[in-house]
Amino acid sequence: MNNEQLQIFLDGHGADPSRWPAAQRVAVENFAASNAQARVLLERARRFDALLTRTAAHPVADEAAAARVLMRLSDLPAQRRPFWHWPLVLLDWQFAPAWPRMAALACCAAVGFVVGIAGLDRTLERYESLQTVTAQADIASIFEPEALTGARP
Amino acid sequence: MDDSDEALMARVARGDQPAFRALARRHVPAMVGLARRILGNTADAEDVAQEAMLRVWTHAPRWQPVAAFKTWLTRVVVNLCLDRKRRAAWVDLEEAGELVDRAPDAVERMETSERERQLQSAIEKLPDRQRAAIVLTYTEGMSNAQVADILDTSVSAVETLLIRGKQNLRRALGELIDEEG
Repeated sequence: MNNEQLQIFLDGHGADPSRWPAAQRVAVENFAASNAQARVLLERARRFDALLTRTAAHPVADEAAAARVLMRLSDLPAQRRPFWHWPLVLLDWQFAPAWPRMAALACCAAVGFVVGIAGLDRTLERYESLQTVTAQADIASIFEPEALTGARP
Repeated sequence: MDDSDEALMARVARGDQPAFRALARRHVPAMVGLARRILGNTADAEDVAQEAMLRVWTHAPRWQPVAAFKTWLTRVVVNLCLDRKRRAAWVDLEEAGELVDRAPDAVERMETSERERQLQSAIEKLPDRQRAAIVLTYTEGMSNAQVADILDTSVSAVETLLIRGKQNLRRALGELIDEEG
């Protein structure tokens, strides 16, 4: 490190070591300890920073300015809501007090979905159709003529 | 009741006007001061602070607490200031209306030493982003990383802005900076 690099470092990071990057702090401190000109640069940077902080610390906006802004904010426009706002409002406002019923409804829907997907309802339908066919066959055999004699019941 | 900025913003997001007013009372004075330092005049600073707070109100339902509220608000104010400075360069003199007195008032003049007044004046003449970096670093006490976040740039770019800004100030003020006191 040389004096020019130190000046650039101090301009970029200030003279307060607590603001320096940890990776460079030791190198800068060692350089300042071993070089009289570096210590002068460090002292100048400290004074410059103090002057900047002092200048910045002066209040530039009075309370009246803030009060005027607050006054102008008394009439507020409508807020911009995201598109999913209204469904959320319905959930929050209309149905929230009835959450047990909503939960029961959701459970019923879930059970119905599972039954539908797993095909549990189909087995019953198939059994019923089989029974019907069997019953029709039985009735037909009752009224069919005897194969050997041709006699009808 | 939790009255942190984030808690108030959650209430503002539900359209709670008293929460918004509490938030405004807390932040408007500092935001007017910050805008005044970047813009150089109080009238514009008031407009910027008002616009920033209106954005807080209108955008509150979409606000995500990914950063601290104050950091987000500071970013809004700084961006509005930089936009205003960019636009002001193109405004015709006729459209500019009444000129604002940029000189400090009598009380401020008495309170500020000649050296500090000259420094303030030199800061106001810096390029916009250099001035913003100096103001955020020395007024708000922000780290380079925080300034980079506000200005939406890299830390090394902020270092460059500070280096150039201080070089410009040293050129403008010369020996005045090194005086004791």
